[in-house]
Amino acid sequence: MNPVAHTEQVAPIHVPSPAQRLFNVSRLHVANPYPTLVVPWAITAVIFGLNIAIAQMVVSAAGGTSNLDADAFQYNGGITWIVVFMLVVGVQAMSLTFPFALGFGVTRKDFYWGSTLYFVGLSVLYATGLTLLSWLERATDGWGIDMAFFQPWGLMENPLSTVWLLYATSLLGAFFVGAATSAVWVRWRAIGMYVFFSALAIIVVGAGWLITSTNSWAKVGEFFTSTSIEALALWSLPFTGIVALVGYTLIRRATSR
Amino acid sequence: MSTAIEVAGLTKHYGQVTAVDDVSFAIPEGKITGLLGRNGAGKTTLMSLLTAQEFATQGTIRVWGEDPVENAAVLSRMCFIKESQVYPDSFKGSHVLRSAQWFFPRWDVELAQELVDLFGVPTNRPVKKMSRGQRSMLGVVIGFASRADVTFFDEPYAGLDAVARKRFYDVLLEQYSESPRTVVLSTHLIDEASHLLEQVLVVHEGSLVIDANVDDLRGSAATLVGRASDVDLFATGRDVLDRSHIGGIASVTIAGLNDADKALAASAGLEVSTVSLQELIVRRTGANPAEEAA
Repeated sequence: MNPVAHTEQVAPIHVPSPAQRLFNVSRLHVANPYPTLVVPWAITAVIFGLNIAIAQMVVSAAGGTSNLDADAFQYNGGITWIVVFMLVVGVQAMSLTFPFALGFGVTRKDFYWGSTLYFVGLSVLYATGLTLLSWLERATDGWGIDMAFFQPWGLMENPLSTVWLLYATSLLGAFFVGAATSAVWVRWRAIGMYVFFSALAIIVVGAGWLITSTNSWAKVGEFFTSTSIEALALWSLPFTGIVALVGYTLIRRATSR
Repeated sequence: MSTAIEVAGLTKHYGQVTAVDDVSFAIPEGKITGLLGRNGAGKTTLMSLLTAQEFATQGTIRVWGEDPVENAAVLSRMCFIKESQVYPDSFKGSHVLRSAQWFFPRWDVELAQELVDLFGVPTNRPVKKMSRGQRSMLGVVIGFASRADVTFFDEPYAGLDAVARKRFYDVLLEQYSESPRTVVLSTHLIDEASHLLEQVLVVHEGSLVIDANVDDLRGSAATLVGRASDVDLFATGRDVLDRSHIGGIASVTIAGLNDADKALAASAGLEVSTVSLQELIVRRTGANPAEEAA
């Protein structure tokens, strides 16, 4: 081995553009596509199948849907599991993928906004998929038994665009709440968690106290019943935006320790 | 020789603990530099600071003249293989290698495959389930295949056997001679790696205790054995690292000797023998040599 004879001049490294870097971070999250692109649909299919089976059992025991209340299968909340699942995806994105990405020389800024791209993409993907299934549910008269699995709690009475909006904003909110909470952990570890959850508990109890002492529970209830689902979904966006910025501020000074 | 990394007055505190204490040095471009020191000396912290994974408490770091913190242009030219690297739960070795090519612009797919075969990395196994040695080998593959301008290997062969370590040295030399690049290698196995190193930085309890060219360092220390009176006479006023007496015979290890000094010692009837790099560093970092060598 002669060090001189084989020496070649390597081309200088071309640094990827900012857009390319964000895209690279977003696909880092799906380098293994199974956990977030395949498994959630598979689990949803299983939950759906079990619920259909149970509903069919009830229908057959009752001797037909005509013997049941019209809204017997309208309040199945099984699909909400997916919001909780995406919250956990948001948590792991910061607690595990963040230190991994730092090891690949990714800046915190690129990591956070690339992950945001991924969160938005996944929210749109899942909202669209679940809305398509809702459409199918309508087209088949609730799978033939008036069942509202993908649009429970009266959502079936609303336009499909509302179903989409509700899914998209809920999932986006779940991602960022998970990510920001996890960012507190990444930044300050256990101490951060104690302070965060103590503060959260104080705020919740304090708010309850304030509402009770001013006799405002009726007003709160009225707000939720009088405001349309679309408006409620849109109201979540400024909240999600603030949570996202808080998460960014935390990650900017976080380390991989 | 141009400088890749320049550090001045660098300090890192973790609460009450000072992990890096007012350190200044330069890492030359295109050389293999050894970062040596005992466990907890601050080697990993130092490399984390240079690659902007940690934030300095005080001091400056310049990589190609720029601050590396949140600097994509600098960071995409560096690769840091950390012993305690965290991997996403669901990642197999193959996912790690697939995503690596998105972040190292000069990533060499063929070389990665060659090294996977050479080291026998089980790429279809989840990283979480790999043994320590297998994780080390995965890191080694990334370190070489990234072909970064500066590559940091932090204890790259933790958990590797002698055969795998030999392969690591061979690949390092081969890669380095094909395309010289800047490599910073932290290790305990000083004698094993010493023939690869051109420069050494030795840290002890957060401070830099040696910053020297390996050849100068190796040649500069010697152990002198002879009659106690002759030895003591010669040692007076010199940088004595170690001293022992048995009866009328004394043995001293002295640093900073040039050829003339050694000739003088020999003519004074002292037996002169060279000291290995490991022995020299162990003595400098104040440990019990027997304990450290074990």
